[in-house]
Amino acid sequence: MENNIPHESAAKHVSGEAVYVDDILVNDQLLVGRVVYSSHAHAKVKSFDLSQAKKVPGVHMVMCFQDIPGHNQMGPVVKDEICLAIDEVTFVGQAIFLIAAETEEQCINAERLIKVEYEPFEAILTLEKAIEKNLLLGPPSTIKRGDVDSALKKAPHTLRGELRTGAQEHWYLESQVCLCIPGEGREINVYSSTQHPSETQALIAELLGIGKHEVIVEVRRMGGAFGGKETQANHTACWTALLCWATKRPVKIRLFRDDDMKITGKRHRFLSKYEVGFDDEGKLLTAKFELNSDGGAAVDLSFAIMQRAMLHADNAYYIPDFSVMGRVFKTNLPSNTAFRGFGGPQGMAVIETVIDRVARYLKKDPAEIRVKNFYGLESNNVTHYGETIENNRLFMIYEQLITSSEYHNRRRSVNEFNASNEFFKKGLAITPVKFGISFTTSFLNQAGALVIIYKDGSILVNHGGTEMGQGLHTKIQQVAAAELGVSLDRVKVNATNTSKVPNTSATAASAGADLNGMAVKNAIDILKSRIAETMAHIFSEQYHDDPTFRDSIVFENDSIIDSKHPNRRVSFTEAIPLLHLHQVPLSATGFYKTPNIGWDKQKGFGKPFHYYAFGMAVTEVLLDILTGHHTIVRTDILHDVGDSLNEGIDIGQVEGGYIQGVGWCTTEEIKWDDKGNLMTHSPDTYKIPSVQDIPRDFRTALLRGVPNPDTIRKSKAVAEPPLMLALSCWLAIKDAISAVANHQFEPEFSLPATNEVILLSIEKLKKNMEERITLDFVVQR
Amino acid sequence: MQTSITFVLDDKLQTIDCASSGWITPTTTALNYLRGLPTHKGVKEGCAEGDCGACTVVLGELGNDRTIRYKSVDACLVLLPMLHGKQVITVENLRTDRGELHPVQDAMVETNGSQCGYCTPGFIMSMFSLYKNRDHPSRAEIEDALTGNLCRCTGYKPIVEAAAKSCVHRGLDHFSEREPHVVELLESISKESIHLRTSNQLYMKPASVQEAITLKHQHADAIIVCGATDVALRITKKHELLEKIIDVSDLSELKTIAESEAGVSIGAGASLSDIMPVAEKNFPALYSMLTVFGSQQIRNLASLGGNLGTASPIGDMLPVLIAYHARVTLESLDGRREIPINTFITGYRKTLRRSDELITAIVIPNLNGGIVVRSYKISKRKDLDISTVNGSFRLELDGNQEVKAIMLVYGGMAERVKQAETCERFLLGKRWVRKTIENAMPLMEKDFSPISDARAGTEMRTVAAKNLLMKFWGETTGALIDNQLLSM
Repeated sequence: MENNIPHESAAKHVSGEAVYVDDILVNDQLLVGRVVYSSHAHAKVKSFDLSQAKKVPGVHMVMCFQDIPGHNQMGPVVKDEICLAIDEVTFVGQAIFLIAAETEEQCINAERLIKVEYEPFEAILTLEKAIEKNLLLGPPSTIKRGDVDSALKKAPHTLRGELRTGAQEHWYLESQVCLCIPGEGREINVYSSTQHPSETQALIAELLGIGKHEVIVEVRRMGGAFGGKETQANHTACWTALLCWATKRPVKIRLFRDDDMKITGKRHRFLSKYEVGFDDEGKLLTAKFELNSDGGAAVDLSFAIMQRAMLHADNAYYIPDFSVMGRVFKTNLPSNTAFRGFGGPQGMAVIETVIDRVARYLKKDPAEIRVKNFYGLESNNVTHYGETIENNRLFMIYEQLITSSEYHNRRRSVNEFNASNEFFKKGLAITPVKFGISFTTSFLNQAGALVIIYKDGSILVNHGGTEMGQGLHTKIQQVAAAELGVSLDRVKVNATNTSKVPNTSATAASAGADLNGMAVKNAIDILKSRIAETMAHIFSEQYHDDPTFRDSIVFENDSIIDSKHPNRRVSFTEAIPLLHLHQVPLSATGFYKTPNIGWDKQKGFGKPFHYYAFGMAVTEVLLDILTGHHTIVRTDILHDVGDSLNEGIDIGQVEGGYIQGVGWCTTEEIKWDDKGNLMTHSPDTYKIPSVQDIPRDFRTALLRGVPNPDTIRKSKAVAEPPLMLALSCWLAIKDAISAVANHQFEPEFSLPATNEVILLSIEKLKKNMEERITLDFVVQR
Repeated sequence: MQTSITFVLDDKLQTIDCASSGWITPTTTALNYLRGLPTHKGVKEGCAEGDCGACTVVLGELGNDRTIRYKSVDACLVLLPMLHGKQVITVENLRTDRGELHPVQDAMVETNGSQCGYCTPGFIMSMFSLYKNRDHPSRAEIEDALTGNLCRCTGYKPIVEAAAKSCVHRGLDHFSEREPHVVELLESISKESIHLRTSNQLYMKPASVQEAITLKHQHADAIIVCGATDVALRITKKHELLEKIIDVSDLSELKTIAESEAGVSIGAGASLSDIMPVAEKNFPALYSMLTVFGSQQIRNLASLGGNLGTASPIGDMLPVLIAYHARVTLESLDGRREIPINTFITGYRKTLRRSDELITAIVIPNLNGGIVVRSYKISKRKDLDISTVNGSFRLELDGNQEVKAIMLVYGGMAERVKQAETCERFLLGKRWVRKTIENAMPLMEKDFSPISDARAGTEMRTVAAKNLLMKFWGETTGALIDNQLLSM
């Protein structure tokens, strides 16, 4: 297969020719839509007056909940998200009214004339408060193996503590956007920047009270998504569809950046508690985790996210007696949602903190503690939820990376540096990632495709996955071309469209290429089998004496060939019209469901994952202890993608994921004020990494020679896992802080490690040194 | 006087008369104008506040030598009349007539520099500007050129590689071939003053300082625009209707940088980019602040006059100018006066400038031997971020290494820029040794009670203010800082 090809849209990206929803040319009937949202975190809507707003010239429609023809609902899983508020608002940013006008200015003028009378209620704005009041969004769950409490009692050493990990804004460059164009009758054509066109379609149909067959959702590409458009693109799409239905005109809503940041959910912030028991060598014996997340005002995907956090609280480590409890709390903030890693990062941050603390406690290098606790190849290889880890790559990666990154030499130089510098400290850390691939809601692991061969021999591939920059369409194009033995330029991957491939799952869980690649292959296999049968027949008619059997027909070099009689060949271009004459159906649907997985949510036991993706990173930082600024001096990554479908794309995913994770771990800090208003609502105050923040020396490699059995062309998913490699950066910063007190004290630390967290942690260490107080949380036995 | 504006777009003169063209107003941003055309949808909106660079375009400005200077700018911060007399280049213009990609585009494809592609046109334009201005740029130069562009997908490495790979042709490309033609077009555009009047707006673009002062006299309520990087936010983010504007951004008289033995006089309208060479030579602390100020796209627009005139509480240039004892020159029909910068700003967005006055220059005296000025900035992100705390310090020691004079000027510690006066008094006459500094640090708590906000809390700000004094001491004595590190 042709491997190293650029992204199929690369030339369009660099020339500005790639069309995003906001770029679609629409006739001059287009109206601009706007959502008017709550300014209170929790309040009763006592009354409102839209009459003045409706009078603004150019305004075509001002809508409220009463104007919804169907079901006033846009919750994706649980129906707890009202599309337009009725008499109560539960977060700042909740939609109450919609406006459509000829210009944006008219919309804004109308919005200024809407009068709403609120009666404020008490708002819950912190996770601590929600925990205190026990405001659960649903029942808690536990995954458990062994008897943790007695194991903790028996353990030679124990540590306990808590960890806060922060929210993260997706900051896709293209904010939420949707364009709806009315068709005839009840038809509506929806151009949405969504990761989940089928769900967008379903919610719009229910909202408008029409059949799904009246709604067509199309996605050419998204300008980034990262999970932020898995469920929450639905909101903008629903609002747009309502305005389109009400005005019978094309309507577009594009959220202004600040509105997008205020309205939409984020990565869940977690407050986690841990207690761990270990031996003198640092081998983990038992652990008891309590994970608490801030779900926001509605369920959204919070329980699936908590579940993934619980399933990744072990990360790469075998813990004999282990229990993880997870609870999702309700607050008066926008409902938090999917974000690359989907709970995995929050779960892993806890166990990596544990390992780091154990190492500091035992005065050992954390790398040594990590490798000592890795899941084994033959034994100690079953997770706390009962899945056996097959094809464990941890040791292979660790050994290669420790050598290639010169970890041990650099550990020595870091120590020497720290001994001779007071105002600058260096830190070094290696962290692993083991990430389970599959939706943990098992039935979602299915995909469909529709492959069409036109009479000129050109091929149009439709599949259920959406393109958000991850290169899915490029990989699908490669797979289709390789399976059909044709050149890449013959294959075009169509915009994702619910009328071509129906009832799809979201493009999520890193599984886009795994699922859709297989579905496309399945469709092509069907086509090839039909073609082979007829071609065998055609060849046999030409050569009566020695027939061609269908099994010997092969597809390669843009030709269809009898492999037993290589002179019997016909070019793809010539073959297709011939097959059409022979009445061979030249389009086929394909389907795939992931085999051999099964997961009992209630028992917390089973095999939720088809396989695991592995990776590791070594990060070295230089910390200015007077300003709290850090520089990533060097990062080495070795990541496992099986047999890569496209190395350029996969390395891009690994590097990009790492840097996005670095943002979560360092500068990206979300703050709300005491009224529930988002304070960090624009890039002015919310800081994602810039080009200056990347490692000065950035070395990324893919693990070679490790094909993944039973996946499309032996590849592995990539997307999410590399994000968590950034925990090495976070812990390298902690290592540098710890060096201020010569690693004698456990530094206070949380995530993100902003320069505020860093400076205050250093102040605390300095005080500890002055007062010579002993380690805070340690219980030594 | 003209009542329309003219610029070059797609190699053709484009004239816009706001009075007669429906949706375009004098304060329409270049971004909204370009996106309103069917042919320039490649210019993307990511934030509409100059923080993401997705809307980066390049402006070609005619130099005195009849060549064109190419400058990257954020189209969201450019008001349409600011395009007058310039060439506007967008991502759509980069392919050759034969459809070939420009070298910077080719390189981006080759290095996998695009993933979702939404930020890509902006990166391409910043890279194009770099291509035209620097041959074989260093990594630092590449990063500086790209700091104003955010990418959420790639992790930037392939983009840096693309810049390094492509900017190697001495800036030659199809724009070089067509430059004489464009120069002719630009020369044909009238330099007369412009008045754009609509039913509710008046936008004046005077042709001389004298005219600007006269207009300001007549229209005391008019907003002065000099670069627009702050004013544009009132339009894009607050949706304010700005009724009267006097735009002095393009007055060449305000762009003069005059060096003398006493110091340097910097025209209020000189862009921050234009100031950087003289700052690097004469005022290193100013230079170091400029290097972490905004992005190249912003520095190409923003001016010192604008930065001081808006008196924004988060104006990062102020502390360092105070530490350099800079003065502001104001002009009106009554004449000219100079005010020391530390008294110029009187409160939140308030200054001593009378409503009929125009800031025309900032004068920075050269330092006498022995005086040290340094500036420091602490921000959540090192670049393209506004200070959480910044400090600019001025020190003069006597022969006994005792403090003869000291200024500790802080931003981010109070409602406006403020000196740590208690600390300063304490330090005066003391020996410049570590013990002195350690004794001075706690006094910061007497000088400041900083706020807690989106950027940081009170405690962190206080710690940071103390630490910066220690850092200053360390750097002036050279005792404890490894110099190799400072370059990292």
